[in-house]
Parts: sequence; structure tokens; C-alpha cells
Amino acid sequence: MKSFLKGLAGAASIAAIGISGAAKADEPIRFALLQDFTAVYTFVTDEYNQGQRDYIELVNREGGLNGHEIEAIIRDTGNEPQRGIEAYNRARREGAILVDFLSTPVSRAAVNRVLDDEVVMITVLHGRGDASDGTTFPYIFPMMATYWSQATLLLDYIDREQGGLEGKRIAHVYIDSPFGREPVPVMEELAQRKDFELRTYAYPSPGNEQSATWSDVRRFRPDHVILWGAGGGQAVSVREAIRNGIPQENILSVVWMAETDARTIGEERATGIKRFEAVATGTDLPIMQRILEEVIEPGHGAGPSENVGTTYYNIGVASMAVATEAARLALEEHGAPLTGTSLRDGFRMIRDFDAEGMMPPVSFAEDDHQGGGYGRVSRWNGEAWEAVTDWFTAHQDIVWEEIEKDAAGFREGR
Amino acid sequence: MDIGYFLELLINGALTGLMYSLVALGIVLIYKSSGVPNLAQGAMVMISAYLIWVGVSLAGLPMIVALALAVVGMFLFGLLAERLLLRKMVGQPIIMIVMLTLGLEIFLRGLGPGLLGAAPKSLDLGIDLMPIIIGEVFINRAYLVGAVVAVVMIVLSLLFFRTRLGTKLRAVSDDHVSSWSVGISVERAIGISWGLAGASAVAAGALWGSVQGVDWTLSMLLFPAVAVVILGGLDSIYGVLVAGLIVGILGSVIPGYVDPIVGGGTRDVVTSLIILLTIIFRPHGMFGREDIERV
Amino acid sequence: MFYRLSGVHHTRYETARRIWPVPADRRMVYLVLALAVAAPLYMSDLYLTSYMLPWLIWSAAALSLTLLMGIAGQLHFGFAAVMAIGAYTSIHLTRAGVPLELALIGAGLVAAGIGCIFGAAALRVKGLYLVMATLAMQYLVDWTIINVPAISGGAQATLSTPSVTFLFVPLRGDTALYYGALLWAVIVTMLVLNIKRTSFGRALVAIRDKDFAAAVIGVNPFKYKLLAFFTSSFLGGVSGAVLAFCYYQAVTPEQFGFNVSIQLVAMVLVGGLGSVIGAYLGAGFVLLMPIVLTNVVAYMAIAGWLSVSSNLLAHIPLMVYGGLIVGFILFEPLGLAKIYDNVRKYFLVWPFRHTQS
Repeated sequence: MKSFLKGLAGAASIAAIGISGAAKADEPIRFALLQDFTAVYTFVTDEYNQGQRDYIELVNREGGLNGHEIEAIIRDTGNEPQRGIEAYNRARREGAILVDFLSTPVSRAAVNRVLDDEVVMITVLHGRGDASDGTTFPYIFPMMATYWSQATLLLDYIDREQGGLEGKRIAHVYIDSPFGREPVPVMEELAQRKDFELRTYAYPSPGNEQSATWSDVRRFRPDHVILWGAGGGQAVSVREAIRNGIPQENILSVVWMAETDARTIGEERATGIKRFEAVATGTDLPIMQRILEEVIEPGHGAGPSENVGTTYYNIGVASMAVATEAARLALEEHGAPLTGTSLRDGFRMIRDFDAEGMMPPVSFAEDDHQGGGYGRVSRWNGEAWEAVTDWFTAHQDIVWEEIEKDAAGFREGR
Repeated sequence: MDIGYFLELLINGALTGLMYSLVALGIVLIYKSSGVPNLAQGAMVMISAYLIWVGVSLAGLPMIVALALAVVGMFLFGLLAERLLLRKMVGQPIIMIVMLTLGLEIFLRGLGPGLLGAAPKSLDLGIDLMPIIIGEVFINRAYLVGAVVAVVMIVLSLLFFRTRLGTKLRAVSDDHVSSWSVGISVERAIGISWGLAGASAVAAGALWGSVQGVDWTLSMLLFPAVAVVILGGLDSIYGVLVAGLIVGILGSVIPGYVDPIVGGGTRDVVTSLIILLTIIFRPHGMFGREDIERV
Repeated sequence: MFYRLSGVHHTRYETARRIWPVPADRRMVYLVLALAVAAPLYMSDLYLTSYMLPWLIWSAAALSLTLLMGIAGQLHFGFAAVMAIGAYTSIHLTRAGVPLELALIGAGLVAAGIGCIFGAAALRVKGLYLVMATLAMQYLVDWTIINVPAISGGAQATLSTPSVTFLFVPLRGDTALYYGALLWAVIVTMLVLNIKRTSFGRALVAIRDKDFAAAVIGVNPFKYKLLAFFTSSFLGGVSGAVLAFCYYQAVTPEQFGFNVSIQLVAMVLVGGLGSVIGAYLGAGFVLLMPIVLTNVVAYMAIAGWLSVSSNLLAHIPLMVYGGLIVGFILFEPLGLAKIYDNVRKYFLVWPFRHTQS
């Protein structure tokens, strides 16, 4: 009992130090990257987090933001909400003004908390799509195209570049989870508008075996297949699609398709498949060159150097580029120390920021936290993902209908 | 009714079912000799796939050498697991043993991805992606190879139980005490069965790893494997073969017709129902020994 | 010395039947309870909301499960599904305008009803087969929740808890939520402690030890097994609802997945089967150990004591956690409760060596 009390006292004193630390003026700006390194999101987290840390390192080596360094608080949440909430509360206490969970269940459990605590939460390519409605979710920034925007964008690409949608048969093959089902309403809406036939096919999670689903898909004789999965199931989907006679050029995927998947499929075999792309891939970009020069080559990289420039690495870099831009604007406007509210205002001041050509120009506003829903389509050319379109956006009216509907539901549910 | 569709579901289902059998085989080998339900078999499959990947991609060995080394490695791993963990559990309640194997599973799931990186790795066995087309029916080559390997492994296990060592193992599975009394080393027999389970995990790891890439999700193959084991009978190798076919076929044909109506993937439902119905109507499975104490 | 006893000796049945036969134990329980009640006064909100609050709720859940697994001897690997049923029922009921007090009871009843279906398997089989059957049912419940949008809540598959009052107190703010959880934990604890002393509890123990023998002495196994599932699922369902309302404040299907069931079983086993204090210790261990390990490893890495890749760093807690579960089962199968008991027995007669209790 006594040792228990002592432990409590000790813990409380540590906590007290944390509080007094956060109050100092020339403290670093703290971003909490509390992600899932060990469970469901492992396929992306390693590279994504490495990109985030390397970018932060780059900013710090270039002098920080007006002399303020950025400090990353990194913890594993194992995709468990209770661990995520603990890590979030602790990080908030250490002075974090931005959190990134990269896990839909954890960020969903944190929604009410970040709104109450006025801490910015970025939900890059995960979390609630309806958080794009900034008036309902003032502290949550999806920041890149939501799954709804990705779906409309892919369909629009078929419409414009692959011979139109009218009269076509589109198969939506998805992992049987809320994530897989999410884009279905906007696709159905679009199917009515553009007069094409849409059919949906679910395969059981985690998707390591999908042969029955694809036998069914083949009998539909789809003109195009849209894949909606993540992780190991994606490679299985593509292999099954090719095996069932669907030309690679007509296979399109959600953003979760990377170099590893292409390698598992077989680099030659995968040639021609297309995916949604939120951030440019490769190292042939100004930011990436600076990261290579100033972070990787001197040996300050956060992980294996072969990951630099991969799809998920670059998404991580871009996410932090936007966040630091927001922090820079907030510092200019409100001065130090930054708070969640001033950082949020910083985000909302961002206009046409493209991270030196790395990503589509995004602008946030009080009512738009998605940033326009831009993206592009890229194609696996046998060695790398190569963009085949410019950054564009499509059918945002349908997307926003969906956003408004769900946001309204959230408001009522409170 | 589209007969081609039905046949395709049937054949591909049967083939994947046999690949599940490959995972299930390890569970049966261990249960047969020691009565331990090894719920870490899925994680052992994952570890074997990582070992093969290390051999091929990090050490640059030819696939066949990597496979052989992985078999040796996993055999030793099985021996160690038995010696260090399970031997101490003799006489403990079943729930403790179940939890112990689950703890081992959690440990392995941290170990493999922790040391080698959590991002998925690819494993290429050089199997052609294009299907074998017979009429309207597309047969998946990778699954065909997997099924053949599974059948070979199962037949080998059946034959193995006819050898001298195998006979000892059968004696051990019948009764530990009587085996002791006729001079059979029960400990060694159980250890060997763990080693064999480790070796069979290598086959499963290689085949499934080549299909879906190597990462921790390989350990989730445990669930369909459990369905195979329950349906076939926990201690029947012959049962693994038959039950694998049934689980695979039902898990392919039923979703093939029901999914479009329900609008969701029903394969896990079918698998769960197989487990449930088997336990309610014939707890010892189709070929298991009926010495389970009923309520 | 500390207990001011030389062992526990009963001279009358009344003393033997008390909940706390040793006065010092009783005083300690009061002290712990007082500390728990006063926790919002001396604990920072981090420890209150991220450690104490989930610990209490998970302890209540582990107690519900230990009633079934430890006292009645029925294995259950699908308890997270039971909690999910409770959580979803309570949320849908409160959304429909039912007051929380009634919604909690409704949640318990629905969970108990479906829990009894789980229990039906127990009438046929036990041991390993019961493990597998409940595991299969966990998958079925998960699948139903995910695939029926009316249950899971549409495209986002998230249901926020509406703002509610409990016994005229608005359930908002850390302190109110904490007391809600504490109240439930105390109720479940008292219930489980007392069930052990009733004829119902003794019947369950008889079933656990040998159901044939129990039938011979007139305990109907059919009835009592179902009752065990009913009671335990009722408590589990309400615990799930409390978890949703007091802690998560939003439910998603992932919160009640298969791995949560495994964690619950681990709590019960690591704590010690059938032990009340074990449920608290086990829940604390399984719930807080990964969190503490993650933080310790992170601080060690920052301090430069551990220079390994960040990937391995993230996996070390998982390995240690798995290793500790294995270690406990190998070296202390009776769990943390046994360790506590050993310490207690030592001090019961300290400074002498031989105990009698």
C-alpha cells in the first residue's frame, strides 16, 4: 500500500513537471505521432512515420520555425483505443498541440476529446471523412482527399481517360469493413448520374484468400475494377483480378497501394495497374532532395534509407509539411507560444500550399478541412509509380452531400 | 444456375481448403501426441515465412536452400518450445495451456515484425500467376501447388505414423503412462511432434507468404485452421484432409451464392458456423477419437 | 504484527462466514475504497482518466468473466462480444430516449439473453471445445455488428454516446465519469464477493469441480450453467455499456474485437482464476502493462539507453507482454492473487513463519 502511494506521489510529481514545462515560452512545438506500429496499420506506419520524422529533422536542421524547434512525441498505440487515449492524454500534458493517430478506431475514439481539449488532430487518409466539415469538427483536419473524394476521382478518371462511364460495368471490390463500404454511397449516386452499372463485392478481412469473390466478379464481366482494401489483401486482389482476365490497365485502387504491393504481385505483372495518389512518390522533388542532403546523407535518418521516397514515406513527409506550414502561419499571426486554437487558425490560413510540388495545392477554410479533395492517378510502370494525370478533383458536390449528411448526424448524436 | 461458376467455386474452394489443412496439420500433430491445442500455430507459420524471407532476401540464398534451412530452424524451434514451455504444463488445466500458447503467439507476433520490420515483405516462389483454364473454369495455380504440397505433406504424415518412430508417437497419443512403462520416451516423442509441426508450418508459411506477402497477418490463418481441426477431429490427420476440403468448399461455394444477397463477405460466418455446429452435434469431429467427456 | 493475529481461527460459524474474517483486511478494504473515492482530489486528470478509469471498468468486466470462468468453471473466449452487445444496446436505447438507468438494465438483459445462447454450447461440451465454440460466436457477433448498419451506425460505423444523466447527475467531466465507473466497479465487486457466499455460488463451485458429482448431490447442472452464463453476461453487458458511456464515449466495432476477448481472459488468468482481487490485479496488469512498457521503452530510447530501430522499439512491449503472460502461466499459474496471498500470509503471522488460514 505504501509503495503504491509513493508511486502515485512520484507519478504526480512527474506530471507536475510536465505541466510547468509546457508553460515556458521558448519551448519547442510538440507534435504527437501516436500511431499503430504493431497491429493493423503496420503496412503503412513504419514508412509513414519515418517520413514524418525525417521531415521534422529537416525543419529543425534548417533552423526550425522562427527559432522554435519541432519535437515529435512518438508512441505505439497498437490500434487499441484505450492505449491511444492514454498516449493522447499524456502527450497533451507534455504540451502537444497536434496529434496524428493514423488509426481509424483510435482517432474516432478521440474525436470528442480533441474537440473538447482544443487540440488539432490530423486524420490523413484515415478517420472520419465527415470531419471535412470544419464547422462541426473545428479541430480535425482530414487534410487530404477523403475516401469519398478518392472514389469520385477514380470514377471521373475512367469517365475522362478510359472511354467514358456511360453503359460501363464497374465492380467495386472491397474488404468487408466500414472502410471498404464507405465509398459505396457516392459511387451509387454517381452511377445514377453517369448511367453506369455498379456492383459491389466484399471479401472477408484480412483478405488473404479471395478466390470465391473474384469468380463472381469475373462473371459480371466488369470493364473496370476498383479495389478498396489495405495491406496484404491488396496484392491478393490484384493477382486475382489479373488471373480472372481483367486487364491491368483497368484495375484501379484506393490510395493504399504501394511499392511493396507491386513487388508482391510481381513487378512485371503489376505493370499498368492504377491507383489514387495523394502525394507524389519518389525522391525527385525539392523537399526530398533536401531531406536526402541534410538528413539522410549525414546519417540522421529515422530509419532504413531505402524507404526514402516510397509512397507512404512521402505521404508522411507531406503531412508534416502541411502541419509545419500551418504552425509557421500561426506563429506569424499569433506569435509564440502556439496553442491548439492558434494552430487551427494557422491551418485555416493555408492557401494553395503544395509542399514545393510534392502534393496538390491545398487550401483550408473554416468550412473546408479537406483542402479541396485533390489527387491524381498514377500507374505502375514496372519499376515505379508514375503519374498519368495532373492534380484534379471531381464531383465534390456529391462528396459534400455525404459529408454534410454524416456531419449532421454527428451534431445530432452529441 | 451457372454450372461453370459452381465448379470454379468448388475447385478453388477445395484447393484453398487444402492450404488451410497445411496450417491445421501442425495443430493436429501436436494435439495427437500431447493433447495440447497449439493456438500459436498461426504465429509459427508467420515466423517460418519470415525465416524463408531472411534466407532469400537478406542472405541471398536460393529458395530451396532457404526452405531447407527454415525447416531445420522451425524444427528446432518446435523442440525448444516444447522443452521450455509445454513440458512444464503437464497436468495443468486446459485453459492455462490455451493461454500459454496464446501468450507465445503474442510474443512471436512482436518478435518477427519487431526484428525484421513490420511492413509486408514479398516472397516469390516462381509460380505463374495465370490460371489454368478448363472450359469456363479458372483454376488458381498458386492454390493448386499449395493443395498438392498439402496433400503430399498429409500423406507423408500418414506414412510417418507407420514408421518405427511414428508407431511410438501413436502409442504416446494413446496413453502416456503405458508408453512410459514399455520404455518409450514420451518427452522425446512429444518434442518430435512439435518439431514436425514447426516443419509443416514452413510449408504453410512459404505458400501463404507467396500469395499475400509476409507480415503478421499470416498468424490470422489460425481461425480457418481451427475450423478444419475441429471439423476433422483434433487428433486425426486423415480428418485434416477431409475437413480441409469441406471447410474450403463450403467457405467458397456458400459465400459465392450468399454474398451478393447479403452484401457482405460471409466466409467467416460459414467458418464460425462450421465450428459451432460441429461442436454442438459431434464435438469430436468427423474422425476424432470419441473420448471427450460430455456434460 | 500488522494484522495483530496469530493466524485465522474460527470459533463460531458467524465469524467464518464473514466477508472479511480478518479485521485488518476489512480496514484495508475501507482504506482502498476511501482512497478510490478521494482519487479526484489527489490524482492528476491524466492518471484519473487514462489509468484509474479504464482500470476500474476493465476490472468490473474481468470480475464478470471470473465469475463465469473461475467460479463456475465455464470457459469463455467471446466475452468482448457480450460487452459489445451491452454497449450497443445501451447506446441505441438512450438514443431512443430511454433514461440511462433503464438503458443499463436493458443492456444487461439483452447481453444476458444472447449470452445464454453462448451458454447453450456449454450444455453440450466443456474445456477446449467450449473455448472454440465461444470463439466462433465472437466472430458471429462481430460480423453482425459490422454488417448491419442499423446496429453499427451507418457509413462511419461510429455511434457517439448522447449526453445523459445518471441518477440526476449529468455524466460529463472527468470526475462524474470516474465516479460512475467506481460505482459500477464497487457494485460488481460486492456482488461477486457475496455470490461466493450464497448457495448459488456454492452450486457454481460444485459444477466447476465436477458436474456429474454436482448432479448427484442435487445441483441441476443445466440450470446452474445457464444461470452462470446469464449472470456473468448481464454484468458483462452492463460493463460494456459503462465502458461506452464513461470511457470511450463513442463505440466502434473494433473496440470489442477478438483480441479484446483474449485480453479479458488474460486478465482473469494472470490475476488468478476466480479471485476478486485477482481480477483487479489482472486487469491492471493486462491493461496498463503495455502502456507503461511503451512509455518506459520510449523514455529509455530518448535517454539513449536503448539504441535500436524505432520499429523494434515499438515491438518490445508486445514481446515483453507476451513473454510475461507465458511467464506467469509457467511460474505462477494461480496468478497475481496468489502472489498477493503469499505476501499476506507472510505478514499475517510475522515475525513467525508458520501460517494457518
